[in-house]
Amino acid sequence: MISEKGRWSRLRLRLLFTGPTLFAFATVMIVPFLYGIYLTFTDWDGISTTSTMVGFENYASVWKDAVFWKSFYLTLKYVFISVALVNVVAFLLAYFLSSGLKGQSFFRAGFFIPNLVGGIVLGFVWQFIFSNVLVSIGQKAGISVFGTSWLADPDKAFLALIIVTVWQYAGYMMVIYVAGLMNVPKDIMEAASIDGATAFRKLRTMILPLMVPSFIVCVFLSLQRTFMVYDLNLTLTKGGPFKSTEMVSMHVYEKAFLSRDYGVGQAEALVLFLLVAGITLLQVYFSKKLEVEA
Amino acid sequence: MKSWKSLQALLVSLVMVIVVTACGGNAGSTPTDSSTAEGGATSGSASGEVKITLLNSKGEILTQLEDAAKAFKEDYPNITLEIIPVAAGQSPFEKASALYAANSPSTITMLDTGDVEKFKDRLLDLSGEKWMSDAVDGSNDLTTFDGKNYAFPLSIEGYGFIYNKAVVDKAVGGSFDPAAITTTKALEDLFKKIEASGTSALIVSPMDWSLGAHYLPLSYAGQSADKAAVNQFIADLKAGSVDLASNKVFNGLMDTFDLMKQYNIDKASPLAGTYERGPEVLGKGEVGVWFQGNWAWTEISSFDTASGEYGFLPVPVSNNPEDFGNTQISAAVSKRLVIDKEKSTPEQQAAAKTFLEWLVYKEKGQDFLVNKASIIPAFKNITLEQKNALAKSIQAYITNGKIEESMSALPADHWSKLGASMQKYLAGAADRATLAKEIQDYWTSVK
Repeated sequence: MISEKGRWSRLRLRLLFTGPTLFAFATVMIVPFLYGIYLTFTDWDGISTTSTMVGFENYASVWKDAVFWKSFYLTLKYVFISVALVNVVAFLLAYFLSSGLKGQSFFRAGFFIPNLVGGIVLGFVWQFIFSNVLVSIGQKAGISVFGTSWLADPDKAFLALIIVTVWQYAGYMMVIYVAGLMNVPKDIMEAASIDGATAFRKLRTMILPLMVPSFIVCVFLSLQRTFMVYDLNLTLTKGGPFKSTEMVSMHVYEKAFLSRDYGVGQAEALVLFLLVAGITLLQVYFSKKLEVEA
Repeated sequence: MKSWKSLQALLVSLVMVIVVTACGGNAGSTPTDSSTAEGGATSGSASGEVKITLLNSKGEILTQLEDAAKAFKEDYPNITLEIIPVAAGQSPFEKASALYAANSPSTITMLDTGDVEKFKDRLLDLSGEKWMSDAVDGSNDLTTFDGKNYAFPLSIEGYGFIYNKAVVDKAVGGSFDPAAITTTKALEDLFKKIEASGTSALIVSPMDWSLGAHYLPLSYAGQSADKAAVNQFIADLKAGSVDLASNKVFNGLMDTFDLMKQYNIDKASPLAGTYERGPEVLGKGEVGVWFQGNWAWTEISSFDTASGEYGFLPVPVSNNPEDFGNTQISAAVSKRLVIDKEKSTPEQQAAAKTFLEWLVYKEKGQDFLVNKASIIPAFKNITLEQKNALAKSIQAYITNGKIEESMSALPADHWSKLGASMQKYLAGAADRATLAKEIQDYWTSVK
């Protein structure tokens, strides 16, 4: 029908459907983003009525901000460990909960539920668990590893962040993997069984290669979410003890709103955006090459 | 084709509805500005009714302030005062700048002292107000720029070691005399006696704001009784010409801190504690001493086992009782009220000024400040007596001139960054040389 009409009416028709979305997207995403880029060239403090253009000075400050790069490195470490764990756990859950286990739908729902809880609430709940519940269990039962709050020790607090992250996202990724597993063609699996392939052999040479699209999606989602972690970081550890678990988003926020250094904060946010966009695009580009046809 | 046309029309109208309601929702989300600024102006000209708003960043007095707004309306029936709360944990600066960014500032905003300067371009000059002459000496120094004062000093707050009288009485075997604690040595003896009486000596609350904004600044303010010398010390820190590792006051203060670490009830895991634990163990008498300020009164009194008898001890910085800081506690005006001049109408500004005068000079206003909100006012003409022990104790120090200025205008991220350094020291993850270096590095990097 579209081809019957002239160029103007085609444009009008398209605008009819995409217009409102485009308008919303432009006003809440594009315009603030461009305005944000403008702010990186000023020394605005967030409230003053005046600000001066400072050129690329803010970007130089980003480069020199050792704490930013330290928290970026910490975030990389956190992303690497949690993306790996989330996906391994999620895949194993999906694999076992698709093998015809009794009550598997119930378990699937159970593992998915943490994802329905907001990060803020979840952080507070786990903070209570780590600093009160586990400590009192540890002291009563004499388990020394739980004797003191995990959140008061830099390494254990980092571990606590990873545990909660895996617990939160594994269920969500599991759902995607379950869908991927369902899409593995039955005839191939049947043929493999007839040929006498072991379960491990089937997994390694058939299921895994056929599920590459699911892996791409899940790794992409978990990369993006863990890179931008803020809510969990804020409520579980507040970046502590002594700023040892302060992830990069939190650092950027504090630079802009606590240190009142809005320009540098914005510049750091932009640098972070470019780095994360780069990493995720590379991930998608390279893993696309692994895809196979059934 | 016909049905397609009608569908198209339906969709267009749907889009229109979405756009219109979206805009409506947008306006609705900032009710304070449109309803107060415009509503106040129009109704103001019609019937003399004015509506003003106050952004309250002192969460613990929210209900008292709402009652005060009602009492104020009894005296001035044509002015309606509405209180906007700042969410728990949100900084007043953040909320106030968000309101300004949304073009809907409150008429009166309650800010921390250090934030006033940032807002000054948007605030009303209050230098000509009547209460200026009754304000406590020096209380407006930090909010006066180019000879103009932009803020109303709302409350004085002080901090130091809070002691539980029941516990220390038992420890010293008789009536405890707070004036006897003027040296680090005397403090250690007290800690020892408390421990000997079977109670833990003290609790160190590890919050970064407590260590970074209250404890550490004692090392700046304690440098000299002369404010100019303290300011010079800060300037030297910024210029990088101070060697903290060899500074006498800093070392004295950290010696006291070492003592606190040693007698801390949470010694095993010093960073695991929370603020809520402090008033509980102090009020229940499980410890004798807690480093905190008079704002903790409500929480302490809810656990009180010492029949309301508490008081402040100074934080000693040396073993010479004559040294500055050993007999003084830290106090300063902590919260300020400022009036917006950008979006408020002249009627609203006048009403806001009326409210400030009401607080200082009218019986109901004074009653709210002292009796209802337990605020220590910064005005000489208010002579009402404080009801709670901690405010009484601070007032006694003020009356005796034993006050050291709190550093209430430090850089905005000082508490967070150096609070973390102090936590590191408290947990034993850094030694004193590292701490001194981190403090110096912070000051040389601050803008």
